[in-house]
Amino acid sequence: MSRRDLRVSEPGPRPPQGRDEDLDWLVRHVARGDESAFEAVYDQLCRPVYGLIRKVLRDPAQSEEVTQEVLLEVWRTASRFDPAKGSAITWVMTIAHRRAIDRVRSASAQTLREQKSGSVLAGSTEEVAEVVEARLDAERVRRCLDSLTELQRESIGLAYYGGYTYQQVAGLLDSALGTVKTRIRDGLIRMRDCMGVTW
Amino acid sequence: MRFFREDLHALTGAYALDALDGAERDRFSRHLRRCQSCANEVRGLRETATRLAMAVALVPPPELREKVLAAVAWTRQLPPETEDAAARRSRAAHGSPGRPPSRFGTPRLAWFPRPASLLAAAALAVVVVLSVTQAMTQRELNHSRAQNQAVEAVLSAPDARLLTHRIVAGGRAIVVLSQARHALVLTTSGLPPLPAAKVYEVWFMAPGRSKPAGLLSPPTAGRTAPLLAAGLTAGDRIGLTVEPAGGTSKPTTPPILVMSLPA
Repeated sequence: MSRRDLRVSEPGPRPPQGRDEDLDWLVRHVARGDESAFEAVYDQLCRPVYGLIRKVLRDPAQSEEVTQEVLLEVWRTASRFDPAKGSAITWVMTIAHRRAIDRVRSASAQTLREQKSGSVLAGSTEEVAEVVEARLDAERVRRCLDSLTELQRESIGLAYYGGYTYQQVAGLLDSALGTVKTRIRDGLIRMRDCMGVTW
Repeated sequence: MRFFREDLHALTGAYALDALDGAERDRFSRHLRRCQSCANEVRGLRETATRLAMAVALVPPPELREKVLAAVAWTRQLPPETEDAAARRSRAAHGSPGRPPSRFGTPRLAWFPRPASLLAAAALAVVVVLSVTQAMTQRELNHSRAQNQAVEAVLSAPDARLLTHRIVAGGRAIVVLSQARHALVLTTSGLPPLPAAKVYEVWFMAPGRSKPAGLLSPPTAGRTAPLLAAGLTAGDRIGLTVEPAGGTSKPTTPPILVMSLPA
């Protein structure tokens, strides 16, 4: 379906499909300024967005800030979401990952991260209980990760969760650049097939 | 060139995980426009990466919801991109290699928004909307112009941040903070009106001391005019209390807002 078709078509009744299709539908409504659709998007995505950003940045205060920016960005740029290019959730998670990476790779954030690692900010953010949300597919992801070779798993983990470039990953793992590059790719392909991702 | 292309193709994984830096990412983005099979593979690998993100989901601080929804109310959305504009931009991007506005501002990825200027837009919306709603005399207007310049200095500060917080008495505080300028601009919406003998006073609060940071104007249409509070010191929180008209030098009532500020 082309982007044009989607733009002119009427919203119609909310589709009864799974979570992902539902989210695509919601994001298209957010693009029309529908704040209640945005609330629903927030409720579905705040946990993965915050979780990913925390995983990369670690600092709770910075993570909260970046999460806020990302979700606001989703609101602001919802009209640029194109379902032909990927699912809504991947659109959002890509924004989230890039924002987190932007922080990590900017020099000032680096020093901030170091400064903050020793001290705790006053306020309520650090009092929040850190509860990993139990999701049905989280277990599956872990199982699929377990099926990778150690080098594949470490490379993917450092690149995605650690926010490192593959050159940095190669340095950390003491491996050749070309090896890390291929391990990231073939590891991800294996993950994709293991989880039955169809794109 | 066959070797070179295969070599590039192997970057799909690193690209999907944002693990390419600068020039290499730009080169691969350009390659993606020509290589449909690479683009398809990247798409699938990105969807795979999303599963990795879902696996580390974490409950955010509960007050975040309030903040985001408040900010949404002040933030104008981008219009949809028309096909013409997209094509123009793509052509322009082909022609001019050296203008990446952000780390990830590669033309191919127009689909993904750029981080820049979001805060500025949101912040400006706050001030413009609020300023316009205030009816002013000439004297007030002059004062307000000077005030606006100071306000603009905070809004345009490179480190400016938009923060919002719920006020216990009702309504929300919206703050644009610049730690570099030791100042912030505070506006509120939905604060209950006060009798004439009372005023809302803003404080810089630190353990053991509170420094007056200004008085809020009476709400007009549910909003108070932007207040510039300067002289912020590191570690200060923002407080709000109800005080006798004219304000006091120390808070005499329990704060209806205590907001910590990021460093």
